[in-house]
Amino acid sequence: MITGTGITKTFRQRGNVLGKREVPALRGVDFAIGKGGAASFIGESGCGKTTLGRIIAGLESYDEGEIAIDGTPMTPLKPKQRQPHFRKIQMIHQDPYSALNPTRTIYQTLQAPLALRAGQTGRPKAWIDERATEVLSLVGLDPATVLSRYPHQLSGGMRQRVVIARALTVDPEMLVADEAVSMIDVSLRLGILALLKDLRDRLGVSVLFITHDVATARYIGADGELYVIYRGQVVERGPVDTIIADPVHPYTQSLLSAIPVLHGLERPGEEPVVPLESLSADQSDSGCLFEPRCPFRGDRCATERPLLQVTKEAPQEHACFYPERRQVIARPMSEV
Amino acid sequence: MPQEAPGVRVDGLTVVYRTPAGELPAVRDVSLTLEPGTITGIVGESGSGKSTMALSLLNAVQPPGRIAAGSVEIDGLGDVVGFAGERLRKARGAHIGYVFQAAQNSMNPLKTVGKQLLDLGRSHGVADLRGLVREAKELLARMGLDGARVLDSYQHELSGGMRQRVGIMLALVLNAHLVVLDEPTTALDMITQANILKIVREVHAERGLTTLVITHDIGVVAEVADRLAVMYGGRLVEQGPTRQVLGSPRHPYTRGLITAIPRLTGDIDEARALPGRPPTLATVPKEGCVFRERCPLRMDVCDTVDPDAVADGSRIVACHAVNVREHA
Repeated sequence: MITGTGITKTFRQRGNVLGKREVPALRGVDFAIGKGGAASFIGESGCGKTTLGRIIAGLESYDEGEIAIDGTPMTPLKPKQRQPHFRKIQMIHQDPYSALNPTRTIYQTLQAPLALRAGQTGRPKAWIDERATEVLSLVGLDPATVLSRYPHQLSGGMRQRVVIARALTVDPEMLVADEAVSMIDVSLRLGILALLKDLRDRLGVSVLFITHDVATARYIGADGELYVIYRGQVVERGPVDTIIADPVHPYTQSLLSAIPVLHGLERPGEEPVVPLESLSADQSDSGCLFEPRCPFRGDRCATERPLLQVTKEAPQEHACFYPERRQVIARPMSEV
Repeated sequence: MPQEAPGVRVDGLTVVYRTPAGELPAVRDVSLTLEPGTITGIVGESGSGKSTMALSLLNAVQPPGRIAAGSVEIDGLGDVVGFAGERLRKARGAHIGYVFQAAQNSMNPLKTVGKQLLDLGRSHGVADLRGLVREAKELLARMGLDGARVLDSYQHELSGGMRQRVGIMLALVLNAHLVVLDEPTTALDMITQANILKIVREVHAERGLTTLVITHDIGVVAEVADRLAVMYGGRLVEQGPTRQVLGSPRHPYTRGLITAIPRLTGDIDEARALPGRPPTLATVPKEGCVFRERCPLRMDVCDTVDPDAVADGSRIVACHAVNVREHA
């Protein structure tokens, strides 16, 4: 179980004549991902979703708030003491081409973390080979053909599987997959998504999926939670299918409206929401963060910031004063 | 010089790359017609030959690659495969605009956008550079940007979506009426992608263009293209009107590709990844159908005979199994 409360992070850029510029990346984010659970962070580039993922994986510091791994708060611990906790959380990056050392065979890549592990637990050398074979089988690769290969001899999909296998060598409790399929060939993407779901089912590993593609978030599991993040604030949160079918925050609605419609197979949503302008760093920090771009902004929005909460209008948490259901996503022709 | 949207006829195009294993075809015997004033989308995975195909339209395939056979006939220009030197250089830019994949990396980081625009104008002998700048500003304004500010910016000062729009501006500013966009929305997020696609559609209609969009994402083509062509292993396996191809795909690869798209609604388990993996230049079969290794409809004939592209009304499919069934 990994929980975060009030996570805040501000990036400070080096000063120039106009003084220092502060960029708030996260503004008090709460989250909880249970054992074997699934969560997806979605939002535009620059919304803070990757920063949050990196904080959860222990790769980035945070300014305020608390992260607890299996009930142990991380802030009071020294960096060395945190290590074994954060080792339970492994990151899978977007680009499987640069995530693997090109001069090492797949065996060498897997052997290094396994040898460390074997040393720590006093296991024999034979265990390393056994386990390397095992993790490759887990990710759907044939160890006999893959172990002796170099990364350039594998396809993108296979490389991403090797990256996942390497993450599994340390018996993680959670995988943080940051845009893990966006560089994979289209016909193979679903295979990687299915693998992540399968690892949840078989090993009880929880999966945190970070993406701008909402549709892929569904494939991590129907029980998954979706966090819609806008400028460092969670603006809507709930079960994946609830939010996709019945979004109430105008930002979530804009994201869903922007997904290409497969004309010929689907009919576009009836009330697509298009933001008034594009995301920019100069937009004001007062009131609702989405207010400058919101087509439905009201009087309160410019001065007051809505908090994430459940109201009678919607069962999922949302941060909007005027939540309203809109039919934004495309529906299959057969359903209409 | 007033221009109209040109038609393009690619006939029997074969492009080979020289490798240690001999000359291997990246594009093999491809025929495709772009009707004047339409948007055509070519969909394919990495290694399908789609970018090589697009570069052939400018006769810009770089060594070790070369166009080994076929012709690319462009209205008002002729067969560009026979063009070389100055004549070819003039045709690019003035007639054919190209928006490169990852426009974010195709600009000079040391020069402002405006300086690069002037370079472009001078190299094409534009006499009225002020007019060129005016035209560029209008185009940028049309795409929702502040023209003066953008021309004064270096590429690192622009966001991904803005750079992509600058790429489109540079492709159109010399009044080209044939435009090729290579992966116009890759690496952009959903809302920016939707904006760019809207701009592509609108600019296409307003300026009277013939447009070719190259992408790996069927969704992008579904949003903008009138016609859809599917490439696999250097072959065009299916083409037809976008809605028809998406609504009732015929080639097993097209079907598989559509089934593999993660969808927002419906049963998750219905979506399925295609088994196997796409071929590379070295693993494309030398004879027989390029898709047979992954094909659910594989027959004996597929191992030895490469299926012809057979037309049926506005649909063209290259598959033994499909064409046998339809003509039986």
